[in-house]
Amino acid sequence: MNHVEIANLSKAYLSGIFRRKRIQALVDVSLTVHPGEIFGLLGPNGAGKTTLVKILLGIVHPTSGTATLLGQSHTSAQPRKRTGYLPENHRYPNFLSARDTLLHFGRLHGIPKDPLFQRTDSLLETVGLKDWSNVKIKKFSKGMLQRVGLAQALLSDPEILFLDEPTDGVDPVGRKEIRDILKTLRTQGKTIFLNSHMLSEVEEISDRVAILNKGEVLRTGTIKEITAQTGHEIELQEPVTEDLMRSLREVTSDVHSSGTKIVLETGDKQLLNAILDRIREKGFHIESLVARKSKLEDYFIKLIKEGETP
Amino acid sequence: MKGLWLALFTIREAIIKGTLLFYFVFGNIVIALFAIAIGSSTQNGLQVLTFFGNQITPPIADLNPVDFILFQLFQGSTQAVILLGLFATAGLIPSMLEKGTVELYLSKPLSRTEILLSRSLGACGGIGANVLYFSIGIWLVFGFKVGVWHGGFLLASLMVVVTYAFYFSFVALSAVISKGTGLTIMLSFAYQMYAGVMEAREMLLYRLWDNDMYHRLLDGLYYATPQTSAMLNNSAILIGQLPFKSAMTPTEFTIMPFLYSFLSAALFYGGASWYFSRQDY
Repeated sequence: MNHVEIANLSKAYLSGIFRRKRIQALVDVSLTVHPGEIFGLLGPNGAGKTTLVKILLGIVHPTSGTATLLGQSHTSAQPRKRTGYLPENHRYPNFLSARDTLLHFGRLHGIPKDPLFQRTDSLLETVGLKDWSNVKIKKFSKGMLQRVGLAQALLSDPEILFLDEPTDGVDPVGRKEIRDILKTLRTQGKTIFLNSHMLSEVEEISDRVAILNKGEVLRTGTIKEITAQTGHEIELQEPVTEDLMRSLREVTSDVHSSGTKIVLETGDKQLLNAILDRIREKGFHIESLVARKSKLEDYFIKLIKEGETP
Repeated sequence: MKGLWLALFTIREAIIKGTLLFYFVFGNIVIALFAIAIGSSTQNGLQVLTFFGNQITPPIADLNPVDFILFQLFQGSTQAVILLGLFATAGLIPSMLEKGTVELYLSKPLSRTEILLSRSLGACGGIGANVLYFSIGIWLVFGFKVGVWHGGFLLASLMVVVTYAFYFSFVALSAVISKGTGLTIMLSFAYQMYAGVMEAREMLLYRLWDNDMYHRLLDGLYYATPQTSAMLNNSAILIGQLPFKSAMTPTEFTIMPFLYSFLSAALFYGGASWYFSRQDY
């Protein structure tokens, strides 16, 4: 059983005084999240990432399509017992201390009193707020509030955790600590659904990602699939000549040069060999050959800018 | 249990926000004032009620002085309940609906109806606790200092709590629609005025147009909404029988306004819950 299954989900918001303006937040989204994986949902601001998570948690109603969470309809309150959620820009009652905040939301989750006290203390230690547990959260920085939020999401020892921009406002040390917590959770078999535009972080910890833009899923796959080998750099001992480039362009148009360097914008091995043959035929000497691997960020930007579809 | 926890948390929030605390402090001052000032003495062989040593003489000869003073106190305190209660509680639902907060509540394993009703229960519970604390305080003062243990006053105070709970159904509906404290307070005040006018519709509105359909329409509107004024006026009767007749103050207690208001409050709470359940946050 997949922990999340979304089929043809669409959401349109109606806005304006007479609610006649239609804003399409999600368009026919289908995706699955497997148990025990960290799934990264990437997209620029306004792509529909938060809307998708809110639909799964019953906070927003879809216009059409279906979704299941832990095998049950997303509209049911039942799966939410086994779910943790850290919303973006969360606001906790500022008259509460960090400890009281966790106790309050823990009780709303239905956690019995004694286990809740133990869990609260343990989580405050995990997120590094043990010494701040009795301080009112109105005195907390953004980063500290994010830690409270993460602890709140973990209170019920959830099977699936939804995190919306969890490292937003957190300093680099704190971000690493949060990443480490997420990695530990993965080793415990927890499923994590991560919404973020911090691509390097998602790349580091996610097993699979989906890229969302303007409400549409542009690409889904493992990090390995997405950041697959995308080209080669060939360094020559002599500067590249116009005659050589003309000859190479007869093989493929995905080739360009700069000084002594030739860049082949494809991972195709046959084309690479053909290019290498042409270079040797023209009497040039190869200094080095490096396979280029794109970063998730490069792929993401390319995809968003060009509006590519898979 | 989750709903009860949310209701108790709501009371705590209302206390911390100050208005309920102000009401509590104000109530204590009134109780203390009465504890110091009220007393009884014997004049010409008759026991009389005194306030700072001065005899209290009701404006109508047949009126019992204790009933008179409790009636005045009741009239004043019910205004305070509605006014301060509204200020203390009108923001409780909108504050829960603020972006960043509502997501936290809706992501918990509670239904939206449970969340809304628990929040409303907390709001009414906070007001109810204050009203009962104040009423029991006054009741004890009169019991110990004057020797009158006035059960009617306690019962009337209990009815005020019921009235507030019915009245809050309109506040809850306004809050989920407007999502703002200011607008909720304005709408609730407007409703208070409406309830007062509708209570006196026979004297005021019937005269505008002598048409049976129009009168029935007014009656329908009146019975479809919680009858705040009628409930408070009926509750006052429980303190003591007034020796004069008034269009606004019935001479006999009737349960009917409470029954009609219960039905309309159920409709309002149902409407608020339905609207809340359909919204995206």
